[in-house]
Amino acid sequence: MIKKLIEIVGQDNFTDQLEELVPYSYDASMNVYRPDAAVWPESTEQVLAIVKFANEHKIPVIPRGAGTSLSGGVVPIHGGVIIDLSRMNRILEVSIENRYARVEAGVVCDDLNRELAKHGFVFPPDPASSTVSTIGGNVATNAGGIKGAKYGTTRDYVLGLQVVLPTGELMRTGSYTMKCVSGYDLAKLFIGAEGTLGVITEVTLKINPLPRHAMTAVATYARLEDAGKAIFQTMTSGVIPSVMEILDQVTLKSIRDNTDIDLPDAEAMILTETDGFTWEEVEAQMEVVLSILKKNHPIEIKTAKDEKDRLNLWKARKSAYATLARVSSSFTLDDVTVPISRIPELLVGIQEISKKYGIVVATFGHAGDGNLHPQILYDEYDADQVERMHKVEKEIFHLAISLNGTLSGEHGIGISKANYMTLEHDPVEMDLMRRIKKTLDPNNIMNPGKRALDS
Amino acid sequence: MPTQLQFDEKKRKAIAQCSRCSFCRAVCPIFDLTKRPVANASGKMILLKELMEGKLPLTESVAQAFLRCTTCMNCTTNCPSGVDPQEMVKSMRKDMVGAGFNNLFKAMGETIEKYGNIYGETERHDWGRKKEKAPYTLFLGCVGTYREEESVQETLRLLDILKVDYTMVDEVCCSGVLEDVGYSIKEDLARRNIIEIQKTGAKTLITTCPYCYRVFKEHPSYKDLGLEVKHITQFLKDFDFKVKTDKKVTYHDPCDLGRHAGIYDEPREIIRKIAPNFVEPRRTRENAMCCGAGGGFRGAFAKESVRVARNRLSQIIEDTGADILLTECPSCLHNFKNAKRQKQKIEIYNLTEFLAKLYQDKTSREKEAA
Repeated sequence: MIKKLIEIVGQDNFTDQLEELVPYSYDASMNVYRPDAAVWPESTEQVLAIVKFANEHKIPVIPRGAGTSLSGGVVPIHGGVIIDLSRMNRILEVSIENRYARVEAGVVCDDLNRELAKHGFVFPPDPASSTVSTIGGNVATNAGGIKGAKYGTTRDYVLGLQVVLPTGELMRTGSYTMKCVSGYDLAKLFIGAEGTLGVITEVTLKINPLPRHAMTAVATYARLEDAGKAIFQTMTSGVIPSVMEILDQVTLKSIRDNTDIDLPDAEAMILTETDGFTWEEVEAQMEVVLSILKKNHPIEIKTAKDEKDRLNLWKARKSAYATLARVSSSFTLDDVTVPISRIPELLVGIQEISKKYGIVVATFGHAGDGNLHPQILYDEYDADQVERMHKVEKEIFHLAISLNGTLSGEHGIGISKANYMTLEHDPVEMDLMRRIKKTLDPNNIMNPGKRALDS
Repeated sequence: MPTQLQFDEKKRKAIAQCSRCSFCRAVCPIFDLTKRPVANASGKMILLKELMEGKLPLTESVAQAFLRCTTCMNCTTNCPSGVDPQEMVKSMRKDMVGAGFNNLFKAMGETIEKYGNIYGETERHDWGRKKEKAPYTLFLGCVGTYREEESVQETLRLLDILKVDYTMVDEVCCSGVLEDVGYSIKEDLARRNIIEIQKTGAKTLITTCPYCYRVFKEHPSYKDLGLEVKHITQFLKDFDFKVKTDKKVTYHDPCDLGRHAGIYDEPREIIRKIAPNFVEPRRTRENAMCCGAGGGFRGAFAKESVRVARNRLSQIIEDTGADILLTECPSCLHNFKNAKRQKQKIEIYNLTEFLAKLYQDKTSREKEAA
């Protein structure tokens, strides 16, 4: 195997050194499994040759971008070869006149946006990891981010893909057009598939004009219920804010206790933004949002127009993850998503679960699209806490599903949530998913052991 | 036989604190070059986690992996979880040496001990600036003295032009770098430097090298120095310079001067006085990318180190389109000059060197006019 892989990618693009494989045994979740080797292909042809070889010899292959996944999605549960696409990082084409960009899978999200910004354009989905996350990884997890409510997720921007199929064939699917109903929408099948159906090597993305102005507001509420009302009233007002974030009481307290950010004692904070191409447009939208925020009994409301004030208002939200990561050495960060009006129920329910098991859960996230991030804080070296953390997570998943929600809004299922797939998907759907997997990947070599597909 | 590593409470906490978000990938100069996760801070924190948990045996090649770090501190500055990976790397290098894994810097330590400099040079350039007594003592450091003589010559000329009453000493390596690569400072060399510097009766020690600056300022071995220590950019910031350039000028923050010592504004204050057409690189100040020379990386991996410098230099050129790149660190200067390709038109100087050149240009112009 070693000889063949080196023959395909070259000595410099191959490793089976233990110290190099150890970092490839992890992502940002708690799952740990060792690969047997890792390769850094430099072209689609090399990926094709690797997969062909792997399929012939039934060796698992695991496509990997920046490895920022929070679900174990890129952790090689059955060993095998990591296909790290980081060196395939060329922006192949920026076609402003046709509103698309064509990139290799390893292009970093922010690098693409820096290039697009030169033309006044943007690829809108902005996961928190956008400084490092790769477009291939974004597609494989259908990455979202803060602007999901207004601008959608990665899925809404993928026009076409080039994919190496598990059986060692190269496929182009999709189009370069804004519309396309030609054949099955196979590209969509690979979006959010977490690398279980093939290796995405090239992506054609729809791009948007970059909004020129934005206005920010922050409102704090003594009662969570009021914040919840403010959110869904805003989302049904006719205005869709580009940002609608919520931070719960535990998160706010943690920020207040551990930073010098001045925050009132509140059950919830809402951070919102409106954006557009003229100030008039931005302000008119904000006026509507502010009137709703006001009538729901806020403790206080702050607004910002210039960049300095904006950054100030963003401070609390931006420091949420970091503060919680400092408070506790280990944490699990989930991404349950519910219909927007059920957010207060989800937040209250999470706190009840948290109290029941004596485990701190701080929740913040994208209220505008119902996608919340409960961050479960515990100590990974304390077996009792680990057990309670798992129980908390399980109950949160059950709660989200009972509210007509989903296990995952933007992180994916991976290993961590695989056991809960049947909670959300009925036997017919599970069976169809498994049949699709088997049809495309008869030898089960492509990122096996994930999302309960190969049982 | 090498022994196993010990992890104290502080290290255990730091290891657990890393959330493996991998945001450090965006700022690690060696990862940027290689795309190898082990090169990155999170990769190294993972190795430490497994070493601590007894899952990974400490081998020669694992110990080697910890040499692949320039200790530029960009990961630390950008870590959302508040981990200081470069401090861990430096500390682990020592622990690994302690556990019996000597590295190639053992030889450098011996060279420093024997020759008083990191290169094993036997002859020291005589700058002709040694006096009995002076209010200021100037300390150059190894890289400037032995690898960037021309630049140093200009810096000295600038001090002459500005009529600074300074002296130089028979300096030996400050030897602080050994602390970063697994070993310890050479106390006898530190003492020699202290004695030589104190003999001059100077009240202020001026260093051109940011690393020497940090060692004199921070290392306990120099606590009895008894002089005010200033980096040359701090010393010069209030001077009036009678020169200017119209050229487009940019500035590279040396990691040892910026992130490690917090000196960002002084060099800029000087540059603003002489170069109205000053542009910042995209990644600058706290976020400046490393030139690849620090933390023993150039010593251990010379070729890769130059490739890192090439990356940084190309980015600066692309971002700014500047005619002149300034910095104030002999190591950064040296690495950039080695990295510069012929077709790249940018000129690279230490700030003090550039100032001296501007004075020279002015003098030549005045002569011509006369």
